[in-house]
Amino acid sequence: MRKRNALIGAILVIGFGLLAATDRVLQQRVEAQGGGTVRAPRFEVDPFWPKPLPNHWILGSAIGVWVDERDHVWIIHRSSATLDNNEKAAELKNAECCAGAPPVLEFDANGTLVQSWGGPGQGYEWPQSNHGIFLDHKGNVWIGGNGAGDSHILKFTRNGKFLAQYGKAGVHKGKGPTNAEGVSTFAGDSNDQQNFGRVAKIFVDPRDNEAYVADGYLNKRVAVLDADTGKMKRYWGAYGNKPDDRNAGPYDPNAPPAQQFRNPVHCADVSVDNLVYVCDRVNDRLQVFTKDGKFVKESFIMKQTKASGSVWDVAFSRDPKQTYIFVLDGMNNRVHILLRDSLELLTSFGDGGRQPGQFFGVHSVAIDSKGNLYTTETWEGKRLQKFVFRGIGTVPRQQGTIRPGT
Amino acid sequence: MKALFATAFAIGLLIAAPARTMAHEIPNAIVVQSFLKPDGQTLTFLVRVPLSAIRDVDVPQRGPGYLDLSRADDALRTGAIVWIAREVALYEEGRRLADPRLVAARASLPSDRSFQSYETARAHFADPRLPDDIDLYWEQGLLDIWLEYGIQSDQSRLAINPGLRPLAQRVTIGLQLLFPDGRERAFQLHDDPGLVQLDPRWHQAAADFVRSGFNHILDGIDHLLFLLCLVIPIRRMRTLIAVITSFTVAHSVTLIASAYDLAPGALWFPPLVETLIATSIVYMALENIVGARVVRRWVITFAFGLVHGFGFSFALRDTLQFAGSHLLTALLSFNVGVELGQLLVLVIVVPALNLMFRYVVAERMGTIILSALVAHTAWHWMTDRGAQLLQFPWPAFDLLFVLSLVRWAMVMLALAAAVWVGRLLVRSLRQGAKPRAEAEV
Repeated sequence: MRKRNALIGAILVIGFGLLAATDRVLQQRVEAQGGGTVRAPRFEVDPFWPKPLPNHWILGSAIGVWVDERDHVWIIHRSSATLDNNEKAAELKNAECCAGAPPVLEFDANGTLVQSWGGPGQGYEWPQSNHGIFLDHKGNVWIGGNGAGDSHILKFTRNGKFLAQYGKAGVHKGKGPTNAEGVSTFAGDSNDQQNFGRVAKIFVDPRDNEAYVADGYLNKRVAVLDADTGKMKRYWGAYGNKPDDRNAGPYDPNAPPAQQFRNPVHCADVSVDNLVYVCDRVNDRLQVFTKDGKFVKESFIMKQTKASGSVWDVAFSRDPKQTYIFVLDGMNNRVHILLRDSLELLTSFGDGGRQPGQFFGVHSVAIDSKGNLYTTETWEGKRLQKFVFRGIGTVPRQQGTIRPGT
Repeated sequence: MKALFATAFAIGLLIAAPARTMAHEIPNAIVVQSFLKPDGQTLTFLVRVPLSAIRDVDVPQRGPGYLDLSRADDALRTGAIVWIAREVALYEEGRRLADPRLVAARASLPSDRSFQSYETARAHFADPRLPDDIDLYWEQGLLDIWLEYGIQSDQSRLAINPGLRPLAQRVTIGLQLLFPDGRERAFQLHDDPGLVQLDPRWHQAAADFVRSGFNHILDGIDHLLFLLCLVIPIRRMRTLIAVITSFTVAHSVTLIASAYDLAPGALWFPPLVETLIATSIVYMALENIVGARVVRRWVITFAFGLVHGFGFSFALRDTLQFAGSHLLTALLSFNVGVELGQLLVLVIVVPALNLMFRYVVAERMGTIILSALVAHTAWHWMTDRGAQLLQFPWPAFDLLFVLSLVRWAMVMLALAAAVWVGRLLVRSLRQGAKPRAEAEV
């Protein structure tokens, strides 16, 4: 018996020693992988959020998301206009499923749809292709549009009652050539103080009651409006230059940085320390300005990315200093996490695909009061996903598809 | 004189206010934020409620529906009295408090964050009022209310019956109670929770949680089926007691551990537990069918009991707020309730099984048929819940994952070593005690 006990004791001690040695070796390997890990916010995808939509509704290309003060998640999508016939068989009366959901959807924190509205109505011009959604500090809903003739912004109450339209639809028609796809006969006018050029996103700064307009798919500027009257107060282009609508040609990663934004200017969000972060999507860069348009700094992200670019949308972390900035990249299908003060890229998560935690054309991002991220996907992605914040921890530089936490 | 005038004014307003006719639709869901702070002989109650929930009060508007703040004060005060002060019932040591005094009512922007703490919420009432010309669509505003109640002592035990159900189809009330000694307690109440003891005595908490545990086991069909599988082949009291005790001890361990935040918080954990609970039933049913030895059933029951304890904890999570300062009492009481429920089931099931096996079907055949039925049901649960679990991405098999496996293996090995050393110690103590016992004989 004594021999047997000695043997078991020896096995336990040796086993523990071997495991401890393995732990040490593995730890060294992990550290040696070229700074393979970093401390950053960690996330876990919630595959059951949101809950299924009622009425056999499905989403079209989902091109805007925001979270209001109650942690309700608002999205805007293009519904039937972006659905294949096989996706909207109920609308065509070919089958029981499915039909495009109304463009504006409000989900509660549990992912239950609580309200839906949107579409053409009396007194306003609904965009040909709605784009971007924002809820301001007074609870009003702002919507842009990137359709060929969309040169205006709409403002509604949270229940969908029309409040205001800034700019008119279709004002730049006929001034420019047809684009590469032969779709548009509209030309940008980034110095027009009444109208816009296919607005991507609006962000209202409550401190000054000013709306920052990412303007846009046709114009090449950030425009700032009085949020009550819609009166334009100022605007600027890349590096704070006066915007110039001349076509700069396709993006060349090896060329010197362009002195103007390329289309689309895709976000213009204001941080707690009064800096404006602008997504110059196709130029693969995030430019930072003061609120009056003075250039501060910029950061290129995955600079070799061509076509639709790598800097699509931003959200700030919910700590008081907004330490981190989340940058959405719809071409590489990732969420990049940067330190906001240095714009250093810490880590990225996500990968292309249709499983939970993967993306196809990840387009817009917003954050709730608990630090959870919400993303929407355009093109054929047509999806809203939730990533639950799991605190600051050690993560690899490249996380790939987000993995379960503990 | 001033107080008299204010009272007369408020009564006048109430008379002048229109009856509760529908001015606009009942909101689907609202969140009410509130603070209760007893201090001396005054109980301060700060409440924030969306203006959209204040119906049948003529809120002055301008333009497309913007709140006309220059004329809104009377409407805000009327709304505060009619919809909040009159509806909320507060109790001190079981006695309902008299009607409160409305200290202030004001409108705020939906983005205002002052109700994040009691101090900022109270200070907010001294902030400048919103400018009269602000374009705030009236239904999107917030109504902030400051009420004061007279109380005997700030040490009294308080209770509340919110009565705010009429405000919306779904009402969530966030309530924070601030004790004079600095302690705080947070509640989240839904719809019509009835009378809520904000600082229950231990026996009140115990009674509530015994009831809760009892109801939970009787409502939980999967726990009941597990219990049924346990007892089908073993209906002798002694074996049964060993098995049931093993299950009880095990689920108590994980239930208490969960209540103290020791369980994993990851999203995949609840589906994993639910899948394992279904698996435990399938396993037990199959074991019954193949006629496995049940002498050591308490061991596997202990393992499955650990899993079921996590399952109980999910049910308990939202109600632990009502335990006050008696968390452990509440947890133990919940377990007692579960045990009472189990005993009730056993008292019914064991004689029923005995009768069935005696008069209806032979024991072996009956065991197989019953267990097969249970296995069939549980199999479907297991596959459904397993499918949910599989929605979560698998961990990447990389260095970090291997490292975490190694660390878990170290923990398990350390635990195994501790158990082994413990067994050795017990054995050596027993051997040391034997000669003395023999000497006494």
